[in-house]
Amino acid sequence: MTETIWLIAAVTAALLSMSWLALAYESHWQQVFPESGTLPNRRRLKLSAWVFLLLSAVFCLNADHPSMAVLVWVMLLAVAAFSVAMMLSHRPALLKIICLPLFAAKA
Amino acid sequence: MFNSLRMSMGWVHTWMGLVLGFVLMICFFFGALSVFDREIDRWAIPDTRFEPQPMPSFDEVLKPVYEQLRPDPVDMAATERRVVGSLPDPETLELESLFAYTTHRDPVLLIGGEFAIPNEPIDPTDDHQHVHGRATVNPATGELLNDDALKIGSDWFYPMHFSLNFNWMMLGYWIVGLAALVMLAGLVSGVIIHRKIFREFFTFRPWKNLFRSSLDLHNMTGVVALPFHFFFAFTALVIFASNIYLPVTHTTLKPLHEHHEKLEAARTGLPHEPAGVPAPLASVDAMVAEAKRRWAQRDMAGEVGFLSMNHLGDENGYVSIYRAGSDRVALVGEGIHFKASTGEVIREEPPRSAVSSIDEFLTGLHLQHFEHWMLRWLYVFGGLLGAVCIATGFVLFVEKRKARHAKTGSQGSRIVDALAVTTVTGMVLAAVGMLVANRLLPADLPGKGQWEQIAFWSVWALAFLHAAWRSSPVAKARHNPAWREQSLLLGLLSLSAVGLNWITTGDHLIKTVFTDTYWAVAGVDLSLIATALIAFFAAARLRAPVSEQKADNALSRNKQVNAYD
Repeated sequence: MTETIWLIAAVTAALLSMSWLALAYESHWQQVFPESGTLPNRRRLKLSAWVFLLLSAVFCLNADHPSMAVLVWVMLLAVAAFSVAMMLSHRPALLKIICLPLFAAKA
Repeated sequence: MFNSLRMSMGWVHTWMGLVLGFVLMICFFFGALSVFDREIDRWAIPDTRFEPQPMPSFDEVLKPVYEQLRPDPVDMAATERRVVGSLPDPETLELESLFAYTTHRDPVLLIGGEFAIPNEPIDPTDDHQHVHGRATVNPATGELLNDDALKIGSDWFYPMHFSLNFNWMMLGYWIVGLAALVMLAGLVSGVIIHRKIFREFFTFRPWKNLFRSSLDLHNMTGVVALPFHFFFAFTALVIFASNIYLPVTHTTLKPLHEHHEKLEAARTGLPHEPAGVPAPLASVDAMVAEAKRRWAQRDMAGEVGFLSMNHLGDENGYVSIYRAGSDRVALVGEGIHFKASTGEVIREEPPRSAVSSIDEFLTGLHLQHFEHWMLRWLYVFGGLLGAVCIATGFVLFVEKRKARHAKTGSQGSRIVDALAVTTVTGMVLAAVGMLVANRLLPADLPGKGQWEQIAFWSVWALAFLHAAWRSSPVAKARHNPAWREQSLLLGLLSLSAVGLNWITTGDHLIKTVFTDTYWAVAGVDLSLIATALIAFFAAARLRAPVSEQKADNALSRNKQVNAYD
């Protein structure tokens, strides 16, 4: 049971990380906030993304034997990146939910 | 010939990718299905739809089963050609060694053995002097299961992804090996020619033209799963390197290899040759209990994955018991060997060396003995991303050239497009068609497995003929309607497979998911429904204006994208 909780945490962290990494690009930021007139705060976004990337690795290590955790983590990143790319192209507004105002810089 | 590294890499990427891409489609798609090969077996052989079970008692259940094991007639015939004189009656041959293999996903147990033969070999250096036998057992009852039932998952889809089921001179293995090597070259060259690997990491723009959106998808599926693509192509080569691709131990270094075997036998105390003195067999269950006790002592408590016996009935006979690698990325291992006649431990294998551990990890990450359902699904997803990457590569090839080919009257893009239809929708049709045939053919039909294979190849061949027949618009820079037609057919066929499973076995999804949960069958059914939905969605999208795109549109697209020029 605890393993499942760690894995859910790892999936969440990977998704957040990849979303923030994507939003650090102005083109993707524009897709999510087309009319806001703000720009992404790239440093904050990237820093948070990397922290959550590491966190998801730690969560994977808590769930499984290290030999398996490393595979789960690498595959999870691929799926998370693909999901974020698909959200950006089909439902970019979904990414607004996880994008806190503190990531926006004035235009 | 080429002005820059990027251009020369583009050439390699395009042409090697095109030629071996068709093979790679097979590897990725059937590889993805192989992740759930045992579950597909359950779907295809309804008699085996029960829960996975650990290795049963040898003394009570398995011992009498091995007495029913007989030499395989195909192997009898093959061996007969290599020996002097004719082989004795198969009923009289005696087992000289045996094995039993199971995993945490297997309700059934695979057993087998080698039968000794008295004949001399025609070639004196031929040391393969025995006939094999193999059978599947219900471990709960010890009853042998029908040999005629083809395990579609583990004996058809799984070998398809590494041998194309083309065993003549092992050519299938070699073609797949070459494709894996080209895959590695494709990844390296792809990274070199990709201009915006990070900036376009998350980019997919389906609203752009077909060429641009396919290129987005090609790049994205290739890059996000790059570690997966790399490690699976690489470990595929590692797995077969020593015994198929570079078999030095059985060719150039054969004498050394044999010498080493004898030295190793002396070092480990596991006899290389029988003593020629008959001896009884002690309790194997007691040996299994001792092995489990020793694993637990090493903080690696586990189940038996593989059990084997050598020199049966001989004073030098020994029993080897290996632990199943379900809880980590490992193969069967931690072997403990017992003297067959007394049950005393001859040898406990020491922990692996660093090199051996790395080898086990690389092989293990591909062979997936582990018990981790989420990782299994992630692997399926990785395999399908690989398939999408290659399929979009075909679309790019055609889209880039078809306008030019239409002007010059070349049939090049038409041929590639027909082959692309065959290896994308046609391949999935063949796999689903085989499942439909499996449910339509009566269970007691003699040679049912053969008929299923015929159905598989026939559906695939028909898909090719259909794709080729409908492909003429491509030569006029238009769209091949076969993509849409085969998608529609795939949707219908997938749904009918689910329906037929319900009608012929009574296992519908409400039962397999809720009332009498059996995930192996429910998973296959749900995947078939997902396939149908995706196929119908694709068919609906393909009705859109793409088919009427004008040739000049295609021309202007060519100017936009020059990554492959």
